[in-house]
Amino acid sequence: MGERLRTANRRELGGYLFIFPAFLVMLMLVIYPLIYGGYISLFNTNLMARWNLVGLKYYLRILTDSVFWSKIRITISFTFWTVLGHFILGMVLALMLNVKIPGRAVFRAILLTPWLFPEVVVALVWKWLYNPMYGLINHFLVQLHVIAAPISWLGSPSAALPAVIIAAIWKGYPLIMVMLLAGLQAIPQELYEAAQIDGASPIQAFRYITLPGLRYVLVVSLILDTVWWFKHFTIIWVLTQGGPVDATNVISIDIYKTAFEYFRFGEAASMAVIVFFICFLFGYGYRRMLGDEGN
Amino acid sequence: MRGTKRDWKPLIYVGLTLSSLIVIIPILWMFSTSIKTLEETFSIPPRWIPLSPTLDNYINIWKNYPLARYFFNSIFVVSVSTIISLAFSCLAGYGVSRFRFAGKGAFLTFLLATQMFPSIMLLIPYFKLMRTFGLINTYTGLILVYISFTIPFCSWMMLGYFEGIPKELDDAALIDGCNRLRTFLSIILPLTLPGLVATAIYSFLVGWNEYMFALVLTTTTEMKTVAVGIGELIGQYRIAWNDMMTVSILASIPLAIVFLFLQKYLINSLTAGAVKQ
Repeated sequence: MGERLRTANRRELGGYLFIFPAFLVMLMLVIYPLIYGGYISLFNTNLMARWNLVGLKYYLRILTDSVFWSKIRITISFTFWTVLGHFILGMVLALMLNVKIPGRAVFRAILLTPWLFPEVVVALVWKWLYNPMYGLINHFLVQLHVIAAPISWLGSPSAALPAVIIAAIWKGYPLIMVMLLAGLQAIPQELYEAAQIDGASPIQAFRYITLPGLRYVLVVSLILDTVWWFKHFTIIWVLTQGGPVDATNVISIDIYKTAFEYFRFGEAASMAVIVFFICFLFGYGYRRMLGDEGN
Repeated sequence: MRGTKRDWKPLIYVGLTLSSLIVIIPILWMFSTSIKTLEETFSIPPRWIPLSPTLDNYINIWKNYPLARYFFNSIFVVSVSTIISLAFSCLAGYGVSRFRFAGKGAFLTFLLATQMFPSIMLLIPYFKLMRTFGLINTYTGLILVYISFTIPFCSWMMLGYFEGIPKELDDAALIDGCNRLRTFLSIILPLTLPGLVATAIYSFLVGWNEYMFALVLTTTTEMKTVAVGIGELIGQYRIAWNDMMTVSILASIPLAIVFLFLQKYLINSLTAGAVKQ
């Protein structure tokens, strides 16, 4: 009995020893800073000498500020169209790549490439494509007579957000495509054969076999993609820095500017906490909507 | 039935070709710009094949910008953080797959949950803490940030690989007198080599791409990473698009190399978790 207890304890201890380094790192580098960020949000501070306790003042101010909500609206709109684009493209391409045709591997490799360019590089390339004078996009559109003269895509408040979204879709769809493709390949082929025998149309097969089969992959990738792009910073920052006139001022850029350009660290920290809760709500909402398989 | 399938094929080819073009055109345009002279980048209409293609940009950018320094910084920081992250993740993955202990499930959930936090929440506290501990403009500061980003997901990836290795192997080694650590290091770990490779690539990709934290935590030219360095070329120098595109290509090469050779491993393990549930 004692012997068994001792081996049991040794087994437990071994597990703790193995996970300890990772656990400690996460505790020190994620949990502690997170809590500390919440602490900073309660102060009017320059992070140096000035630490004036303001309590929940920033939260109240931010939540009742229409400017904040308009930035949230921009962020939601950016996230919504970007994620929608990822899923439409990702789904269509995954379905096409799931058919066994010659050259499939080549197409898959090409269609994956945007994923392996660093975000900054993607932003730079699109900035060059959008260039008002010498950009390729203006050139194409003028040649096709879609527009009469070159447009400053990133310089006009109405065009900047769509322009940024297109770059974000280009960068991000491959991951969704790969996930959905893996999901498709995990669906047993026999199901489709059975459906065909029963006389199901391709659309019915998609509706009753493919979609349910992809459900788990869809939930996971939808949550991750939404959270990733909701807090996205790099591409928008390099393309527009939030401009023109706040047209692309998504919440992460606003937090960055509030902290590191205006040095209102406490206020920026409380905005970050609010973003945290919004991301949390997204995840929760999706799970409720799509069923509770995602845990 | 086979007939209907064949009817779709031309349509699939058209669709895949069009999408591939949308992917390839910006990349080709980037390359085309990188072998142009500055004058020619401003030619209207734009020319796909430059009149006088040149590789000068590829040589000159090293002299014109502190690029070598940026590359060294990125490679150093990302490599070290990948090694540390891999070591800790392997230990954690093995521990979770081979031991039963109270709080195991909670630990796994905890790792996953940290992935869901918006990283922007950490930006301000990191800035303050790094300043307090004198870690702004240091490699240590960036390495700490990157391992905190990669350890959770890498641990999950490694867990998946360890689970795929029969536990009987451990038992056999233990009976033969190996202790736990030796069993882990010399028997089990070598068997997960593909997993190690995939996990390392993932960690490398994350660090090489990271922009926001490097932007905040480095202020001097000597300490900037590639991502931050090229992002700043746009503001600090007159925009020489040919240089910019050349630098962009160079910054993507390490990822392209890594990816070309190892994409199979990476894609398999990135998607395995999602599919297996």
